[in-house]
Amino acid sequence: MNAPADRGDRDVDRFRALAELDGDDPRRAVLRGDLVADHMDLARNLARKFDRRGDQLEDLIQVATIGLIKAVDRFEADRGNFYAFAIPTIMGELRRHFRDTGWAVRVPRQLKELHVTIAAGRNELSQKLGRAPKPSELAEHLGLPREQVYEALVASAAKQGTSLDARLAEPSGDRFGYEDERLAEVDNRRALGPLLAELPERERKIIVLRFFRGLSQADIARRVGVSQMQVSRLLAKTLERLRAALGEDTLAG
Amino acid sequence: MSEVETSPVARAHGVRAVEVRVSADAEQVPLLRSFAADIAMRMDFDLDAIEDLRMAVDEACSLLVRSALPDTSLHCRFEPEDHAIRVNVVVDADRPAAPSSDPMGWQILTALAESVTESVEAVDGGHRIRVELRAVPGETDRR
Repeated sequence: MNAPADRGDRDVDRFRALAELDGDDPRRAVLRGDLVADHMDLARNLARKFDRRGDQLEDLIQVATIGLIKAVDRFEADRGNFYAFAIPTIMGELRRHFRDTGWAVRVPRQLKELHVTIAAGRNELSQKLGRAPKPSELAEHLGLPREQVYEALVASAAKQGTSLDARLAEPSGDRFGYEDERLAEVDNRRALGPLLAELPERERKIIVLRFFRGLSQADIARRVGVSQMQVSRLLAKTLERLRAALGEDTLAG
Repeated sequence: MSEVETSPVARAHGVRAVEVRVSADAEQVPLLRSFAADIAMRMDFDLDAIEDLRMAVDEACSLLVRSALPDTSLHCRFEPEDHAIRVNVVVDADRPAAPSSDPMGWQILTALAESVTESVEAVDGGHRIRVELRAVPGETDRR
């Protein structure tokens, strides 16, 4: 794990330097820009995870980049590894983007209303059942035919549109420099992966549900079968543990 | 390139086994996860379980596509059982790279699926890498 450790070391030094530079020092803007540019692979990587909703990758990369800039600005070098701080920050930005944007495609009004009805039904049933409802339960609860529920569920997955030309315009070829992206991805993944593997099963599940599935603490509590308070405590403890482990690794390297 | 084949055997929930063959290319992965989500929806998985499966299939395919030889196919077989679905994904590669050697991807995969297995076997002129995951319709169906 030499590569990520070296890289982490260099990052820590640069983040310290950034914190020490005065706000209007021109060197600060340069360093800040470098730090953002050097972690773009992370932003791209996370943006790709959200591409499933049919949005265009380039737009998502821009959103992820805003998250990255926020992470660079807010990160305190003494808190350990930058990745452990940047990943949740970028994921949060991407999720906010999806929460705040409306329908990108023209969906018949009836289907839009159905989407709202289904979302409400989902909440009601989740409360009542203590778990996410099945499509059949939604259909019964709302008095709708099952096919109509399917239609609405598929439509909500496509709430963000994509151009028919998107795939042609963005071949998986060289335009985004995939080769580099994957090399860098190895860094992130190598650093976090083994630490994740060492966590107890429940803690690992909580981390994956929170940061990769984007569930709320309440939803996680329901699914793991503990109270929301416990989820909050376990999350804080586990993140602390990951940060410490990544930090030590950085020092050791 | 995409081909879809459905089995003639209908199960209790009326969802049949489906086999999909696509180019082993990252671009095709969204198609496969949509397939997985649609099948799970029709098998009446709960909405959380549908999302988990979508993400697990995405991760499994992404892990394999990375190792695949250029211009080869990724085979993905969805096998509905009475209270579960089995997803079997296979590619041909030049190196015997076990998918679990990407610890991050593997951890995400094992946290989202009920069980996951992998295999790497030598075949003519290379290696065949396989990931099989099993997912269940909801938390209460977990062992």
